[in-house]
Amino acid sequence: MPGATKGGTFTILRETQISHLDPQRVYSFAGLMAAPLYARYLTTWKDDGKGKLTLVGDLAETPGTNVNNDCKVWEFKIKDGLKFEDGRPITSKEIAYGIARSFNPDLTGGPTYIQEWLADTAQYDTAWNFKANKGSLPPGLTTPDDKTLRFEFKKAHCDLPFAASLPATAPLPPDKDTGVNVDNQPFASGPYKITKLTPGVEVVLERNDQWDPKTDPVRHQYPDKFVWSFGTTPDAQANRMIADNGPDQSAVAFNTVPASLISRVLGDAALKSRSLLSPTPSANRLTINTQRVTDLKVRQALNYAIDRDGLIKALGGEAVASPLTTLLPPATLGYEKSDVYPAGPNGNPDKAKELLGGKEVPLVLAVRDDDLNQRLGTQLKNNLEKAGFKITVKTTPADSYLDDVKSKNNAWDIYLDSWAADWPSGAAVLPVLFDGRGIKAAGNSNTSYMNNDAINAEFDRVLAMDPAAQAPEWAKLDKKIMEEVAPAVPLYVDVSFNLYGSKAGGLFIESIFGNVSFVNAYAKQ
Amino acid sequence: MSLSPIDEAALTEGPQAPGDAVPEAAAKEFVGRSPGQLAWARLRRDRTAMISGVTVVLFLVIALAAPLIERLYGVGPYQQFQGQLDGAGMPLGYAGGISGEHWFGLEPQLGRDIFIRLVYGIRTSLLIAFVAAVITAGTGVVLGVVAGYLGGWVDAVIGWIIDFTLALPYLIFALAVVPTAALRFYGPRDNPPDWFKMTVIIGIFAAFGWTATARLVRGQVISLREREFVEAARASGAGLLHMAFRQLLPNIWAPILVSFSLALPAYITSEAALSFLGVGMVDPTPDFGAMIFKSIDFMQTDPAYLFFPGVAIFVLVFAFNLFGDALRDALDPKSSR
Repeated sequence: MPGATKGGTFTILRETQISHLDPQRVYSFAGLMAAPLYARYLTTWKDDGKGKLTLVGDLAETPGTNVNNDCKVWEFKIKDGLKFEDGRPITSKEIAYGIARSFNPDLTGGPTYIQEWLADTAQYDTAWNFKANKGSLPPGLTTPDDKTLRFEFKKAHCDLPFAASLPATAPLPPDKDTGVNVDNQPFASGPYKITKLTPGVEVVLERNDQWDPKTDPVRHQYPDKFVWSFGTTPDAQANRMIADNGPDQSAVAFNTVPASLISRVLGDAALKSRSLLSPTPSANRLTINTQRVTDLKVRQALNYAIDRDGLIKALGGEAVASPLTTLLPPATLGYEKSDVYPAGPNGNPDKAKELLGGKEVPLVLAVRDDDLNQRLGTQLKNNLEKAGFKITVKTTPADSYLDDVKSKNNAWDIYLDSWAADWPSGAAVLPVLFDGRGIKAAGNSNTSYMNNDAINAEFDRVLAMDPAAQAPEWAKLDKKIMEEVAPAVPLYVDVSFNLYGSKAGGLFIESIFGNVSFVNAYAKQ
Repeated sequence: MSLSPIDEAALTEGPQAPGDAVPEAAAKEFVGRSPGQLAWARLRRDRTAMISGVTVVLFLVIALAAPLIERLYGVGPYQQFQGQLDGAGMPLGYAGGISGEHWFGLEPQLGRDIFIRLVYGIRTSLLIAFVAAVITAGTGVVLGVVAGYLGGWVDAVIGWIIDFTLALPYLIFALAVVPTAALRFYGPRDNPPDWFKMTVIIGIFAAFGWTATARLVRGQVISLREREFVEAARASGAGLLHMAFRQLLPNIWAPILVSFSLALPAYITSEAALSFLGVGMVDPTPDFGAMIFKSIDFMQTDPAYLFFPGVAIFVLVFAFNLFGDALRDALDPKSSR
């Protein structure tokens, strides 16, 4: 990193503590941003912070070898010179053990892709019982030698290199596995190790002298210490960053600037120069329940009617949200911008009325009962009623909202929904959200409940292709789904807007999860 | 208004200074004046009372005439003017977008007119507070008089009910009842209309607010019931209703009016607090409380948004409290200061 200086303490302010630190259980945004400091994975993303992403080997030399070119057998060669914090070498055995322990039903919260693929069932923890087979490895996972890790799947899984970039592939020696207590003291393989942890208050990370920078394509070891400090509200974080006093000078507010303070920061050039502003891949849409809204014309009319500009203002403006007209977020590999229902930034109510044929269509819009969502409800009601709809805004308790929306027979016509994929491939978005063959009674991600045979066949066709060739196909399929089914109104992607102190450097908004990344962070001396 | 003389004991609430027994106005003049006329004369002389009284009346007129104001002003409470907001959703122009068209500026983000929402917000808040105060005062008076006059087991039972009601946590009750009531009467595809939410809130205030008035009235009645005029009425064969409402009640109007005038601003703020917790009136219904709690976030970036509703609720509650105080002074000069 040009200009980076060594030494000092780097502080990260956050409202709530990180839910899990155990790499096998890390799945929250804060956890995903903290984990690279102390853990290394099989593969990882090289990210320039400007949208250029390359998947590289982390513990592995390359991001995996597709042995038979059918995505069923994958091999990873492990690098030399890798060490844990106590100086022990990291081999394929410890990486395999890390994956095996993620089958432990006690260790909840982490991603489940690799477990499900290896076991070939969603009930992976009963298919292979971790506690009864501690000395062995799950079916399909083998370590032919200390430098090789081999996956054999029953079905093709071309996304394995992507899935391996999640912290769940971090290594752990079996004798350091204390079960749920790993959360309090993860065993470090990255540039820092956890030296102090006070639940709900702070996590202190200090340099791990066993980490070798030559083996690591992305991480650095600039500050002496990283401190995660919890319990500061987003308002207070922003005000502390604005004040820029003492230790806060080499700190960053992990929570984004609250909507009420945005205009103050944007209006002040000195403050704006100390901020990160970047769209994230978290895509928000107005989901249309296709079981209830069966008329394609009505769904298309909704797409024409939407006033994205007004909606973004209601959210807090351009520093909170950026308009989106596709189902895939722009951060997806191979993304192509398209707008199947061009209606301008404020929507085209006349075109929508024309599609509705002069009828007034009654729809029920469900929103969470918090302040923000009620505001969005008001906004959408006024917006859509101008285009000939009659909207009933149904407020429902925020804590049960997702469960209700994910139930197949929910009572609502349209609702707000969002999706942040675990890797920037269309495969992690479109089939998950719009393949109708897996619709269950509850817990669906396909909240549009669309089940279109032609589209389902397209999913199968593209998923069987080589990962590199898939990217442009997903963009085409995105357009096709919008044209032929219109199961949702794409609304906006979240924008991350974070303030940092005058002595903080090397920060950027990471492109996969859209949060502040610390792999290049340093404290100016 | 009353046949019996205003009695010293009937009005005594605060500590009584020794020797301060001669009412100034009545002592000098010998023109026959009823206690009501005396109180009115005292009120007229009190400048604070007149100013706060006029303010209260002004707010009542604004609340009643809201639709008329809307027609004259030309902007509705639900209309959005997002074209007059900048990229961050903040009103363009100075002081929160104040202009000839929008007197108090625009709300950030949704871009609705603050002036007309304030007018309608006063209407919502005052309606809820006024109805709730009337119901609580009515219930409290009836139960208090009955308990105080009859005494014995009736008094004991009413006393238990009061104790029981006071022991229930009002806020937790409100949080539990409001969503449940909506679910009971409205299906998963309907949102309860405004009048339903108002009724539920008023119902909760009524269920919990009457106890203070009831206790106050009961105490006053007990201190009166052995008086000579009561004895005389009883000796003449007056029935329960006549005794309670023709003989006793007219003598205790003063504390009732005072407690009513102080309960009203308390209900305005309680209603605001319920809106803040999401169980009161919620967006898009214009409401004082909801408006203020939303504007607090914008203290740094759009102070005008907080200023107008903040000043309005301050003036309203302050005027009601001052008027309540002045009313007590006028009705009961001996207890003042």
